[in-house]
Amino acid sequence: MTKVRLNVGDSAVARIAAQRAALVPGVVALRADLAQALLGVAGSVLGQDRSRLPTDGVNAVVRDQEAEVSITLATRLGHNCRELCQTVQREVAAEVAAQTGLAVTVRVTIVDVLLD
Amino acid sequence: MALDPFLDGGPADDAPLEPLACGRDAATAWDRAEAGTVPDEHERGCPHCTAVRADAAGLNSLVHRMAAEDIEPPPSVMERVMGAVMSELRPHDLLLLESPHGTNRLGRPAAAAVLRGVVDRMDGLRARSCRIEQVPDRFDADVAITVTARFGVDLASVTARVRQMVIAAGEQALGVPVRRVDISVVDIWGDG
Repeated sequence: MTKVRLNVGDSAVARIAAQRAALVPGVVALRADLAQALLGVAGSVLGQDRSRLPTDGVNAVVRDQEAEVSITLATRLGHNCRELCQTVQREVAAEVAAQTGLAVTVRVTIVDVLLD
Repeated sequence: MALDPFLDGGPADDAPLEPLACGRDAATAWDRAEAGTVPDEHERGCPHCTAVRADAAGLNSLVHRMAAEDIEPPPSVMERVMGAVMSELRPHDLLLLESPHGTNRLGRPAAAAVLRGVVDRMDGLRARSCRIEQVPDRFDADVAITVTARFGVDLASVTARVRQMVIAAGEQALGVPVRRVDISVVDIWGDG
């Protein structure tokens, strides 16, 4: 019988996580870290493949059959930060697990709460 | 005897530094092309010299085109970079948020801005500074907030109102239980 090994890369996991996290109600934006922002700026000046999904604000590391995902985001006053983090953890972990079969740990950092 | 042609005023004119396969010096061919000299008979027929002339022309047009281009940063660059700078929080700038799926984090400046924001919306009060210190290894926090009050506001009740507001906002907006609130009324302002 043919054996097939599937290996899912960090970027693939990060893109799935970013897509799903952005859909959670209360997530206003995913916030890129400095390195991602500068790469994004360089990409938009130099012209970049636009078909790539963004991973701004998401870092993923895949080891063996486990993925660690960290998500940095901004929300708006009115959403309970603690509950929003838990919702994002649940939704992203479920989505990544469903699409890749990996066991996923998600950690969320809220860096900004918009007041208006 | 000259050991190093560079230190001795350069090589003799007839000694090519970077000879091409045809025997001519690549630098000479390049310089002639750059100066706009019409190719001589050898250069017109020689594939090596033609290639060098093409290289020179290619670089020349590339450099001029790029120099003439205005590089315009996309409109959101400032926003993105500033957002990223704001997001670069050090570990002690973060509060911990309880979660059954693993502890999450909340930026301390953002949390303080929320508490200042809700106090600002109270009638007759303005928040000045807000410091949030989380109890080590726990999720509840001590809040120290300084406010200014409008002239005529009952200062005795200010403490109770602010305390209630901070505790409620901590729980409802942030998800950080507030253990203690220190309030200082640091100034009074008038309506005019």
